[in-house]
Amino acid sequence: MAKTKRELISDKIYYVIRIGILLSVVFLFIPGVNPARVCGLVNKNISLFTAGISYSTLTSEFGRALRKGWVDVASTYLLYGSSLAVCIGIAANAACGCMSLGNVKLKKLGNLIGVIGSIAGLGGMVGIYLAYGQIAQTVKPNKVEPMFPSSFWLIVVLFAVILAVTIAQCVMLHPVESEKKFGMETKYRLFLMLLPFLALVAVFSYLPLWGWRYAFFDYKVGDTLSMDNFVGLKWFKELIKNPATVRDIVNVLKNTLGMSGIGIATSWLPMVFAIFLCEMKNSKFRRFVQTFTTVPNFISWVLVYAIATCIFSTDGFLSSLLVNLGIWSEGQNMLMSGSHTWLKMWLWGTWKGIGWSAIIYIAAISGIDQQLYEAATMDGAGRFQKMWHITVPSLIPTFFVLLLMSIGNILSNGMDQYLVFKNSTNASSIMVLDLYVYELGIGKGIIPLTTVVSMLKSIVSVVLLFAANGISKVLRGESII
Amino acid sequence: MAKTEQEKRDLKAEKEYNKKHRSQYVSKPSDIVFSVLNYLVFGVFTLACIFPFYYLFINTISDNNLVLRGQINFFPKGLHLGNYLALLNVNDLSSAFIVSVSRTLIGTALMVGASALVAYLVTKQEMWGRKFWYRFLIITMYFNAGIIPIFLNMQMLGLTNSFWVYIIPGIVAPYNIILVKTYIESIPAELEESAAMDGASHMTIFVKIIWPLSKPILATIAIFGAVGHWNSFTDSLIYMTSKPELYTLQHRLYIYLNQASNLKSLMQSGGSVSEAAVQSAMSGKIIKYTISMVTVIPILLVYPFMQKYFEKGIMLGAVKG
Repeated sequence: MAKTKRELISDKIYYVIRIGILLSVVFLFIPGVNPARVCGLVNKNISLFTAGISYSTLTSEFGRALRKGWVDVASTYLLYGSSLAVCIGIAANAACGCMSLGNVKLKKLGNLIGVIGSIAGLGGMVGIYLAYGQIAQTVKPNKVEPMFPSSFWLIVVLFAVILAVTIAQCVMLHPVESEKKFGMETKYRLFLMLLPFLALVAVFSYLPLWGWRYAFFDYKVGDTLSMDNFVGLKWFKELIKNPATVRDIVNVLKNTLGMSGIGIATSWLPMVFAIFLCEMKNSKFRRFVQTFTTVPNFISWVLVYAIATCIFSTDGFLSSLLVNLGIWSEGQNMLMSGSHTWLKMWLWGTWKGIGWSAIIYIAAISGIDQQLYEAATMDGAGRFQKMWHITVPSLIPTFFVLLLMSIGNILSNGMDQYLVFKNSTNASSIMVLDLYVYELGIGKGIIPLTTVVSMLKSIVSVVLLFAANGISKVLRGESII
Repeated sequence: MAKTEQEKRDLKAEKEYNKKHRSQYVSKPSDIVFSVLNYLVFGVFTLACIFPFYYLFINTISDNNLVLRGQINFFPKGLHLGNYLALLNVNDLSSAFIVSVSRTLIGTALMVGASALVAYLVTKQEMWGRKFWYRFLIITMYFNAGIIPIFLNMQMLGLTNSFWVYIIPGIVAPYNIILVKTYIESIPAELEESAAMDGASHMTIFVKIIWPLSKPILATIAIFGAVGHWNSFTDSLIYMTSKPELYTLQHRLYIYLNQASNLKSLMQSGGSVSEAAVQSAMSGKIIKYTISMVTVIPILLVYPFMQKYFEKGIMLGAVKG
């Protein structure tokens, strides 16, 4: 059925308000654009959504002001009720946006809801304006800090646009026969079911990329970003010019690449583990070994550290055993030592991970055709010849994929392990990139520089991953991602 | 049941064949040396994997004076459970335990439900923009903005110092979605088609057909998710800047491990446990051991039953999504 001109125009207008609705939903959750923040007593980290659903959170810092009469209780109730109204309005608009994907009857209902929602939202905004007016007349402006929310007019304009369009749509759409049912094409229905999850991904995986802008500003915790503190590429230059930073970065990169390098150089170990494990004829013992060597993989690094202390510390197993045997005169804390840090970290990593990494090879070995081995036995091949000429070649593809993946991850050793094992004696040789960024950014609050490092690391990792994938495609004709 | 003559003969022949075959195979001395070495090396390594847990355990249930003198090395002596009772009096431990348990339960349930639903939806060819949205989801596996931008994002969303920071970011897990999607694609399409023919909606098909049939893979991702939640430690460390009551158990353990060995300050005065029990467990070393044990026990208890699911998980991971 061809669409009339009117319907086509109506479809186009829908794009406008869908974007408007999307924006208002996003604003609902961002504290920076909370229109309900009419005074300094409203915490700057709460969003409009929080303000609208939780009266206690909204007024958590009002206690003193309410008791002393600086702010009237009625004003806080008005503020809360208005925020709630705005939230409901935005929710109704969101429903309207979703329903606009349906058939004409659903669209009409959606528009009605949209009109009501926009009116409720505008009413809420008026309420917030009144509440601001009341709070602004406080006797203690320096304590209450009344302020006109900067995003106020933005939200009002959004609501006004949505209201205008939904009213227009109500008029423009053809009336429908009363017996026709609500409906929506399957493709849109499926999409709407997926939408909440897409929103989560957008918020938690894509939105952080917006935080990369901190790399270009002179920002300290608690500041706001503005063009005044825009510094361009200052922090990037700092990274290669400031001698102290350069020294740190070089050391950190040395540790990161060193430890990753040891890991990559020994990444054949799980394969050997699997091959030799499968050489054992006693299947019960094999099962036993396999079960217990995979357990350490499932405990956290904190627990690995707890185990390390209970074995290697001054009053741990090894010390007390050696002291009891009379070999040592007193216990030693073997964890407090700065020597061979890389090797020790590799040993702990191997202890934790080798059994688990071997499972994939064990499964691959059990998939090898037994006839190959029988034929080789006939031809007089010994045990090691069979291992080398049959087992190893069949495991190489798996090994290769895992190797490329680990090359892609060369900069990301994670921080858990190094954080828990770090102490005053090994601090300089254990500091890997992830830990460095954490300590500098979260610990010392140096945001811009660490954002630069995070950003460069992410970009290098993605490039490495695609390079590894490219190599895999050229050599094996298969991609790994 | 008596065996027939024929069966007996077969069995005997088989045994003889095996004996002959095996004797041919094992007889070489180099093989024997190899086997002995092989068993020995694996035995020692397995012991190295088990022994620390055993050592930790016997030290928490043995007589505390012996433990402090370093007398408990291989066998427990003077069994008692006082140390575990004394844990009830350690500050903040129970709240950390509750936080860890609830994040494990809620987080895993939501992650599994979301993974199943999303995986089912992205197998539907008729969805609007299916390919694009699937890539939009999956590509997030290969990049991340970095720890600091992510932290700032959480702060902007008001999720720092909130329990929900443990749950919400983990609901959509792209890797698990790939696993479930691969599994759902292996379910015969006829099942779904016939249900659709009978007028079942997508939601009905998902609840009545897809969900029950994908239970094996859902169990697998549930186990991995639960272990991940139980073990997670850095999110507590990074996001709980001013809410110590929301620290996870692992984070608490980390703090205890790094504190001075006298944990007297951690203990509450009074409480439900007798003073004597508290006194005897006053040593920091033993408290640390006991808390470690409490943290590791859930994993050790669950592991043997779930091992097949773990292994299935890694095997499925080898199949590209």
